[in-house]
Amino acid sequence: MGAVSPPDRRSAEDLADATLVRRIRAGDRGAVDDLYERFRRPAFALARRILADDVLAEDVLQDVFLSVWRDPSAYDRARGSFASWLLAMVHHKAVDAVRREESQRRRQSRAGEELVLAAPVEAQDVEAEAWARVVSERVRSALGLLPAAQREALTLAYYGGYTQREVAALTGAPLGTVKTRMLAGMRRLKEELGGVAGGASLGGALGGPAPVDGSNR
Amino acid sequence: MSGDPRARRGGDHALFDELAVGWALHSLEPEDEALFVRHLPDCARCARTVSETSEVMAALAADLPAAEPSAQLGDRLRAAVERTEQVPLPAPDDTSDLAELDDFDEPVDEPAPPRRATGFPHYEHVSAASVPTPTPWRRLLPSLLVAAAVVVILALGTWNVMLSEARTSAESAAQQQSEVLHRVLQPGQATIARLADEAGHEVATVVARPESVQVVTDGLAVNDRTQSVYVVWGMRDSGAVPIGTFDVDRAQMDLSTVGSSDESGLDGYPAYAISLERGRSAPPVPSDVVARGQVTS
Repeated sequence: MGAVSPPDRRSAEDLADATLVRRIRAGDRGAVDDLYERFRRPAFALARRILADDVLAEDVLQDVFLSVWRDPSAYDRARGSFASWLLAMVHHKAVDAVRREESQRRRQSRAGEELVLAAPVEAQDVEAEAWARVVSERVRSALGLLPAAQREALTLAYYGGYTQREVAALTGAPLGTVKTRMLAGMRRLKEELGGVAGGASLGGALGGPAPVDGSNR
Repeated sequence: MSGDPRARRGGDHALFDELAVGWALHSLEPEDEALFVRHLPDCARCARTVSETSEVMAALAADLPAAEPSAQLGDRLRAAVERTEQVPLPAPDDTSDLAELDDFDEPVDEPAPPRRATGFPHYEHVSAASVPTPTPWRRLLPSLLVAAAVVVILALGTWNVMLSEARTSAESAAQQQSEVLHRVLQPGQATIARLADEAGHEVATVVARPESVQVVTDGLAVNDRTQSVYVVWGMRDSGAVPIGTFDVDRAQMDLSTVGSSDESGLDGYPAYAISLERGRSAPPVPSDVVARGQVTS
């Protein structure tokens, strides 16, 4: 659960993740089990939010963990935490799946879709549950601090899986404005979430002003 | 962009800062994605922006209700891992080499495409026989309500839906057709068969390569994928050989890739046929052939 761990546990967990990745690279099939145990809950929570369908969400999880097994070298730890990489892959594949499944969903009753999305989820014991609640609160309040338009753009893209043009159509804003809102919103979230979202700036566009001369390009 | 303060401060890189966030969110339009994917391999700043965005996204995932997948999923995964081989590592235990690889050309059939590690999941083709990813526009209209539900549940605000349906469907059709063409026109030799229904109307074109078969459908009835599936058959004197299954999601032109990549000789038939079958898998022999045709080229 690297994504919801207190900052002082992060490096220890990153190290544990790195060990798992090394075992997978060495061909240890049991390491996939351990990886799955570690990440199945946050991965499933994310996939089912995007897909609103438990079966499809499980297919996405299987696809994600199997592809880590197939090609563990796809992760490069120089670029960020394993947890964020894995959850980004879950997001990516779930969004692909929701786009594939849309025509199927079209046939379902729309009320049904609403109900699925609104249905309460089974509460489960979660490792470091208290901390998870703290993070959850912080994320909620960080989102609450964003201007509504930025929040809308980011939540539609992240939780809803919409493309920028779809977000533009949904919100009645020009595409360029949506792009700007997403960057500005991410900057603000990064600032608000600080340690929760990966600690110090890595030097990307979210960490501060753009480079004066564009020399990073 | 000259009037934009961000542009003055960041040079023309402000554009890429925005694209990096959109790319990490998997929300770019195809043309923006193409632009960014060319830029990213040479830009350390964008690679970091992608990583930072991914970290924030992971934090956002923490604000979801806890949920547990079924116990069977662990078993399924274990079984799948058991029968799956790893792609060969380019340089075992030497991660520094990974940075030299290029991640961004979409792999088609190669099991281990060269790539550049970016700290972000690389694109992987959906498995054979699954439906190609539709263009984003395709899902816009039916999704309005889903989006509404998402946002209402999050209690994060409201928005105005301002959308021209006519414009949407026109753009959608144009994009889909160009995608179909692009995928069919990939380099290499292909065997082509045009398939007609009983009334003689051409409803599908089979594009067969040794290891994959694509079917462009245009006018085949949409099937109910909970109850039926289309099957592509290779026809020879000794009988019909099932090649793969696909679904038709729309009556307009659509492209499906069928057939497994570890088979070969899929292009070796003098004729092809499509049947509509009950259930979700190919029977030993076709039951209801809806289109057939000889190889024409």
